[in-house]
Parts: sequence; structure tokens; C-alpha cells
Amino acid sequence: MTTQTLSESGRSTPQLSLRTVLHNAGIGLALLALIVFFSVFTEHFLTPNNITNILTQITINLVLAVGMTFVILVGGIDLSVGSVMAFAAVVAGKAITLPGFGPAEAIALAVVAATMTGVLCGVFNGVISAYWALPSFIITLGMLNIARGAALQVSDAQTIYSFPLAFEEFGSAMIYGVPVVFLVALLLVFVAWFILNFTVFGRILYGIGNNEEAVRLAGHSVFRYKVAAFTICGFTAGIAAIVYMARLNISSPIAGIGFELNAIAAVIIGGTSLSGGRGSVIGTLLGAVIIGVLANGLILIGLSDFMRQMITGVVIVFAVILDHYRAKYAAK
Amino acid sequence: MAAAAPGAAPLPTHGSAFLSVDGLKKYFGGVKALDGVSFSLEQGEVHALVGENGAGKSTLIKILSGAFPYDSGDILLDGSVYNPASPHEAKQHGVQVVHQEFNLLDHLSIAENISIEKLPRTRLGLLDRKELNRRAVKALKAIGLDDIDVRAPISSLGIAHKQLVEIARALQSKSRILILDEPTATLTKRETERLFEIVEAIKADGVTVVFVSHHLDEVFRICDRVTVFRNGKTIATDLIAQTSPEGVVQRMVGRRLEAEIKEEHQDVHQQDVALRLDDLRTAANPKDRGVTFDLHYGEIVGIAGLVGAGRTEILRGIFGMDPVQSGRIFRDGQEIRFSGPRDAIASSLGFVTEDRKGEGLVLDMPIAANTSMANMDAVSKLGLLQFPAENRQAREAGARLKLKYGKTSDPVSSLSGGNQQKVVLAKWLVRNPRVLLLDEPTRGVDVGAKAEIYAILKGLAREGVALLVVSSEMPELMTLSDRILVLADHEIQGELKRPDFSEENILNLAYGRANAAGGQAQ
Amino acid sequence: MKLLKIAAGAVSGLAMLAGTAMADDKPVVGLIMKSLANEFFQNMMVGAQAHQEKRGDYELLAVGMQNETDFESQINAVENFITQGVDAIVVAPADSRAMVRPLKKAMDAGIVVVNFDVALDEDAKKQRGVELAFVGPDNRGGAKLAGDALGEKLGEGGKVVIIEGNPGADNATQRRLGFEDSVAEFKLDLLDSRTAHWETEEANSVFSNMLTAHPDIQGVMAANDSMAIGVVKALESAGRDDILVVGFDNIPAVGPMIEDGRMLATVDQFGTDMAANAIDLALEVVQGGPELEGWVKTPIELVTAN
Repeated sequence: MTTQTLSESGRSTPQLSLRTVLHNAGIGLALLALIVFFSVFTEHFLTPNNITNILTQITINLVLAVGMTFVILVGGIDLSVGSVMAFAAVVAGKAITLPGFGPAEAIALAVVAATMTGVLCGVFNGVISAYWALPSFIITLGMLNIARGAALQVSDAQTIYSFPLAFEEFGSAMIYGVPVVFLVALLLVFVAWFILNFTVFGRILYGIGNNEEAVRLAGHSVFRYKVAAFTICGFTAGIAAIVYMARLNISSPIAGIGFELNAIAAVIIGGTSLSGGRGSVIGTLLGAVIIGVLANGLILIGLSDFMRQMITGVVIVFAVILDHYRAKYAAK
Repeated sequence: MAAAAPGAAPLPTHGSAFLSVDGLKKYFGGVKALDGVSFSLEQGEVHALVGENGAGKSTLIKILSGAFPYDSGDILLDGSVYNPASPHEAKQHGVQVVHQEFNLLDHLSIAENISIEKLPRTRLGLLDRKELNRRAVKALKAIGLDDIDVRAPISSLGIAHKQLVEIARALQSKSRILILDEPTATLTKRETERLFEIVEAIKADGVTVVFVSHHLDEVFRICDRVTVFRNGKTIATDLIAQTSPEGVVQRMVGRRLEAEIKEEHQDVHQQDVALRLDDLRTAANPKDRGVTFDLHYGEIVGIAGLVGAGRTEILRGIFGMDPVQSGRIFRDGQEIRFSGPRDAIASSLGFVTEDRKGEGLVLDMPIAANTSMANMDAVSKLGLLQFPAENRQAREAGARLKLKYGKTSDPVSSLSGGNQQKVVLAKWLVRNPRVLLLDEPTRGVDVGAKAEIYAILKGLAREGVALLVVSSEMPELMTLSDRILVLADHEIQGELKRPDFSEENILNLAYGRANAAGGQAQ
Repeated sequence: MKLLKIAAGAVSGLAMLAGTAMADDKPVVGLIMKSLANEFFQNMMVGAQAHQEKRGDYELLAVGMQNETDFESQINAVENFITQGVDAIVVAPADSRAMVRPLKKAMDAGIVVVNFDVALDEDAKKQRGVELAFVGPDNRGGAKLAGDALGEKLGEGGKVVIIEGNPGADNATQRRLGFEDSVAEFKLDLLDSRTAHWETEEANSVFSNMLTAHPDIQGVMAANDSMAIGVVKALESAGRDDILVVGFDNIPAVGPMIEDGRMLATVDQFGTDMAANAIDLALEVVQGGPELEGWVKTPIELVTAN
């Protein structure tokens, strides 16, 4: 009896079930196939420098996609993350270039400014869409414009530059060839994975995505959880802004155009259902890596920009078809 | 017991079988859904398929209607092999199904729905509305409906009429076999009667009707033969004339069911009032008068009434799901107002809702997670889930409710209807509620599980829990309740005590004929 | 997208109202800009407003776009200006063909039209029978200035890549052609040419990948400075200081990079003054001066460390 208890407790969440493991393995296999393909056809793909490059390049998308996973899990969507990231970057850029602060204070101020800006935008998205039960698609489309306009207004459409040297060093720092900013993203993935699988909060988020009414009837405030999901998404947009600034040493008000679509693509390729309730942040990590590997590998192979765009599109469509069959299999 | 083998005792008035199924098997992965199904259909008969949920009826219907292929065995239609590759092909062979969940397009008109498979066109290829409406009127007339505007959208119809539209649509094309999958589950008594008249008429036209139902009284009313399923196998086909409801139930459960729970309702000495409604009017109540009654600890109060009488709305109003317009709610003598389910739960209420898929369960989630959904504090510390505690809670609740399941980590969707309903009950029972509201607690639940659920509810009452039960099944209310409140048009028409329980009395009150009922009008 | 258009329409509508209120006997100039989200045009707009305040003898109505590809709000703006009865329209077309028809309509209505920044397509003009001068920098020539600076440093056989602007945008095409002219003239070896949509982050990623594929790159020609910044950051991350970068636009953020040698050169087309200069030319015609003809080139200048 004791052994049974142990084995059951290990598998007792849907995210840890054998099925999920297999399915993540499926994405992993697809990734492996891509890696083998590019390794065979280009000499530079599997080199330490290139791997470092890929990790750097997927960091922003991964950070945004982690937040997006929360929103999509509760059956929502956030189209505003790219603009919110730009807005947060501009606000933080203004903060970090304020005169009269030492580098450490300026950086701390920028981090607070960026995350707070993201959080506030997320709260707005969540409160408006959850309180009036409006489609988050439209509300966040509104926020996409609000945040972009705000970014341009605050920055007067000028690129902000000249950040403290320490900030720039953080952006390009490596530990054994792994970019520190990527480790930050990985930490976010881990925290998100823990929250989603081992906390009441995560459990309820999955429940809301599956059957909002049942969760409400069980006495939980669906409103608060939804607002929380959007807030987390806004927060990660703020973190993405910090990564952007540290990596490029500028804040551009036109940064992040179309980033929301890449983040959504990473989440969907990672096997999270667009209708909510099913998926995992580990899948999102793999999805972001697949997108990054494709973008990198296809350039190394020498494919034209237009072909590259087409192939990325095909992969997204393919992932959604796969999701359809996964849902069907899960229903049996 | 009488007729041993399928088709062994053909009715003299009928011709020989035109459809025969022999040794049919169907697997989903490693799970056997059908494990040897054999029976036959004769022209112009009404053939019942009965069995507990998960016994294989639905799978058989899906195979006959072309939704799935089968793995082995034979189906012969008019002597040649029948293995439809699609619902369309099944329809071409004259096999039509009216599903439990309707396949109607809510925003299209009734006429459009009836002809959706083959919309009439004018010579220009445009939709021929005149012809469309003419066909719809004709189709509805054929089943005795002539008081409906066929141009109205489907969404304007009640559930019973929707079903009749489904039947009219199925009969539109030339049908030989009409399969009705639990057609009466959502119908009131009067609507059921009308359906039966239609079935008689269809039968008279030479169409074979396959009737799937959990209600044996209905099976014995209108069917000629009955085939019993158990665990994916057909157990026997009997002539209705030569068997009895007890005999069928025995075949279904494979053991002799303890005689209907008819244990004596000892006259419980009146305990304290758990819940008092004083002129409570919910938002759905168009009248200016509300409902007033007391619910005591240790008693089961039934609420009867026709669909639309406002029964569910009262429960939803009490539980804080719908806004209350006026009136007061007292809990243990204290006036109280629940602004949402959270408050009601905090006040030791529980609510087993009617629609377990829509409101009761998170189907894709494990049994354990569903069981703890309303009781998160007990299985978590500082917001972190304690999986061993959660699994223990689920196992204990499962044992208490005789839940049949594999692992507590299996998704609820893997359970049969009856066991799913037990999980809904478990979700509330782990909180030890003092007041339990139940809406159609055994809908879509098979006979065996039904009896078990009744026993559980009665046990709760003995432990002092106050239960308020809404049900459309009068036998259920009469079995469970200490008293029955009959609702019509959002008002309590009368209250029946146990000695006055009868379907006739309930119906008289439900149709607003209080004087004939012998109950005291309030 | 529709929302954007409505918003843009509303903005231009407001501008109109404000304009009507102010208009008296002074000539009215309608200025149609491209995306004000682009700091190049934002600065140009500020320059035009400062110019109007300084001269004070005309009224300025200015309209921008929401993004680079929002042709429709420009067309709407032209039509609104016609209705408004402005004396001159000064326009930086978002599309060299789509704008010809509405501008022809404006000319037929007797409005002086000056085309600056990007030239309208010659064939499209001919087809509509439009004779219209172009006031603006030579994007191709400017790009060639930058490309030549790179070519001179690298010499024959130098291995270079191009980072392009938005595919299909006229200035992106002109700048690419200018770079390619330099490649041909100095017999450089063009290894790869890709778009980064004018954007820093994308240029950073795209160039990193190009560098992996071609570690022997010696020079980079970026079609604007935002992308050049991304390239410079990629070089820093890769620890390469042996690769020369040229850009275009001379935005403030690249000033320090040119100073300390991280960038070789950029091109200044004096964007701040460009609209103002075009307005001056338009007002001359309104006040009876001769019609403009051909290509009135505005100054461009190569910017290097000294």
C-alpha cells in the first residue's frame, strides 16, 4: 500500500502524467531531428559559439512565452506583450539615464521601472477582460496600441542610449558559454513550472482553462486568477524589456513589433492548447528552442529570408495540426 | 430468462430479421469497448437497448451510424455486409440517429436545420426558401407538430421541441432504422407521452426504432423486444411480453439487486432549521412572489415541478450563483447573503449541479484534483499542494462512495457517468457540508449506481446533513424525500408529506391543479 | 489593422479641425509624413514645426502614419487636404505607386504638390500623365558613399554582407542598390544579404547568425543606424573588433560608436531639415515662383570619426 501511495503521488497531476512526458518527448524528438539535420548540412551549426548565439537569440522570446503560457492556459491570449516590452524598455531607459544616480541605483531603478510597467499593463489587460468577460484578444489588441503609443510618447520616438557599463556587461556575460540572460530565462521557466505543478494557484489555473464554471462553483475567484495570469504575462514582458536593454544597450520605442506572435507560436508549438487547460511550460521552452534553431539554422544553410518566413509558418501550422490529434487522443 | 438466445423467439407478426449483428468487437487501443455483441432488428419493431453506462450501447450506435469502424464480427443488412465508412453512408442505407446531444445549429432556423443535409435550391442555385419552409412544415406535421413557426431560430425552442426537430430531420430522408439515444432524459412527462405517440406512428409506417433508455418503465411501455448489454457484451434479447423489469435489471447488473430501497422512513424528530428562505425571488423569477420554506437538519426535501418551473434557479439563488432580487435567506437562524459560491461554501453549503460536464467537473483533470477542487486548504500548505494528502483524500472519498476507478491520477473523463457523478458528490462530501443542494443527482446514471447514490444521500441525512433535491424523476423524489415541494411557475403550489406521495398528486400540483392534489397549498 | 486606421483617421481629422480654426489669409501647407514611430521622421516633423514657427508666414497641417506600411491613411490625408482647400501639399510617400493617383487629383484641384524623401515611381507618373518634381536625397548615392568608405578600407576582394531594410520599401531598395554599386566598384565579395526590418534586435540576431555562417566577414553595410547598432552589439558579444560597420541616417545613438571606432561611417541626409526645405520650395511656387522640375537633390554627407 505504501509503495502505491508513493507512485501515485508522483504522477498525480496531469502535467506529470506519462502522456505529457511522451508528448514533450515528441516535441523533443522533433527538435532533435532539426538539430541533426542542421548539423549534417551546415558545418557551423553545432559549434559552441553558435549554440551560445542561439541561446542569446531565444532568450527574449522564451521570457515572453513563459508569461504567455499562463494566459493561454486560462483560455486567454495576450497580443500586447511586444508593445508592453517596448513601453517597459522605454520607461526603464528613461529611468536608467536619469542624472544623479550611481550605476547600481540606476540599474535597480530600471529593473523596478520595467517590471512595474509590465505588471501595470498586465493588470489592466486582466481586469478589463475578466471583469466584463470580454475577449482578451480584443482587450490586448487595444493594449498593443496603448503601450506602443505610450512608448513613442514617453521616448518622443527617440532611441534611448548610454546605459551604465555594468548593465551592458550583464547583458553579454557568459557562464561556461551560456549567456547569463538565458539563465535568467531558464530560472523563470523553472519557477513557472513549479508554480503550475506544485501550487494551488497553478492547479486552479489549469482548472479554469478546462472548466471555468466548475472552478467558480468550487468557491474560487476566477476573476482574481485570470488577473493574476495576465499580470504574470505583463511581468515577463517587463523582464524581457530588461533583457533587451542589457543585450542591445539601447531602448527603442519600436522594439518588439510582432514579438507577441513569436511568443504565441512558441507556446503552441510547445503543445499548450489554444483553448486553455492543457499544456506545460517545459513544452514552451522546447517550442522557443525550436523557433530559435529554425531561425538560426535556416540562415546558416543560406535559405532566403522569404523561404525562411514560409518554413517558420509551416512549422506553426503543423504544430497546431499535431495539437488537434493530441487533443483527440487525450479525449479517448 | 424466458428467451435465451438472441432472435430465438421471433414475433409472429414480424418478418425475419433484416439487420443482424454477430460477435461484434471493437477496441480503442487496448480497451475493449465491444466484446461480442449479437442481436438482430426486425422491420417495424421497437427494440430497446439497455445496460449500465459504459456497457457498450453508445459504441454500438456509433458503429451502426458510421462514426467508427468495427474490428471483428459481422453486421449483415439485407443479407450483405454492412460497414459504413461515414455517417453519410449510414444515412444512405436508411440508418438515422437522434443523439443525446443534439446536432442542431442554434442560430439557423428550424426549417434550415431540418433540411441542412440537402438544402433545396432554385434553378439559379440560390436557396429556395419557399420549398425549404414547405418541407419543414410537412416534416413536422408528419410527427404531429403543426403549431411551430419553422422560420424561428432553433435557439428559440425548448429542449423537447429541439428533440422533435431532430426526429423530424432524421425522418426527412428515407429511414429504415431510427435510433433514439436516451430521448427522454431531458423530457417532462407530457413531452415523453408525445414522443411515444410519435414512435408508435413511425413504427406503424414500418420503420424500426431502436430505443436506448435508462427508464425501464418506458422500455416496457413502448418496446417489443429488449437487448441487455453488460461489459461490452450482449447478455440476452427478450420479448417484452415475456419478461419483467426485475428480470431485465437482473440481467443488467448480473446479480439480484436488493429490492428497491424501501427502508422505513422513521419519523425523524424535527431537528433545527438549517436553511430558511423567506419570500426569495431570483433574477429569473418574473412573478412578484417568491418562495418560502424551511429546511431542517437531517431531512431530505424534494423539489418537483416541470422544466421551467424555476427549480434550478432556487438552488442557484441560494448558492450565490445568480443574483437574488428580493427576499431573505437565513442560515442557522441568522440572516445571510451570499455574494458568490465562495460565501456559500464558507457557510458549509455544497451544490451538486445538474450539468456535471459543464459545471460539476474538470473532465481532463485527475480524480484526485476534482475531489479536492472545493477543499484546497485541506490538501495544501502555504499554497503548495500536498499530493499524498490529496490522494489519500480521494481514495477515502472513493471508498466511501464505492467509486469504481483505476488510479486517483486518472482523468475523470475516463469514468462512467455514474462514477463521474460520484466524484461530484465526493468533491462536496470531503468538505463535510451541513447543507447539500442537489440538482438532478442521478441524471444519466445507470440503475446500479443510482441505488448507491440514494443510499449515500440517505446516509448523509441520517448524519444530520440537510439535503435539498431537485429532480425530474418522480420515483427518485418519492424514494429520497421526507417531503416534496411542488413548484409551478416559480411558486410553491403545495407540499406533500410521505403518506401523500404519488405521481398523480405531484403532477396535479405541478400543473397547477392544487385542489385535486390533496396536498396543502401554501 | 482596422483599429489602427481608424485611429490614424481620427488623428488626421483632429489636425484638420485645428487647421481650419487657424487658417486666415496665410497660405496653408499640408505636410504628409511617414511613420512618426520612426525617429527619423519624428525629428523631421519637429524640424518642420520649428521652421513654421520661425517663418510664421504660413499655416502648417501635419499628418503622420501609424506604421511604415499604412498607405491608406496617407491617401485619406491627401483627400482630406483637397477638401480642406490647402495651398500646397508636401508629401513623403509611403508607397511610390499608390500615392500617384490621389496626388494627381490634388494637382488637378490646383494644389501645389511637392514630393520629398522618396520619389514617386516614374512609370506610374507617366501612366497618369503626372509631371512632378522630386525633392530629396539620393538614397542610392548616399548608400554608395557609405559603401565606398568601406570599400576603400577593405580593398578589392573584401568580404562584406548587407543588412537590408523592409523588403519592398523604396528607400530600402535604393540603399541596397547603392551598397551593391560599391560592391561592384571595389570588386568586393558579397557573402550574404538579408533583411532585419530596420530593427535593432532582429539585426542583432540575424547578423550573429550570418557571422557564424561566414566567420570571415570583413565589413557590414547596414541600411539604417538602428540595425547598425544591433550589428555592433553582435560583434561585441562575439569579441570581434576586426569587422567594419557602416550605417545610414546618423541618429544620435551612433555618435559615440563612430567616435570610438566601433562604426566606420554613417550617412547624414539632414532629415531634420528635409521637410522644412521642401516646404520652402512649395511656398515659392505658391507665391508665383517657377514650377519645380526633375530631381531637386538635397544634401547628403558621409559622417566619419574626424
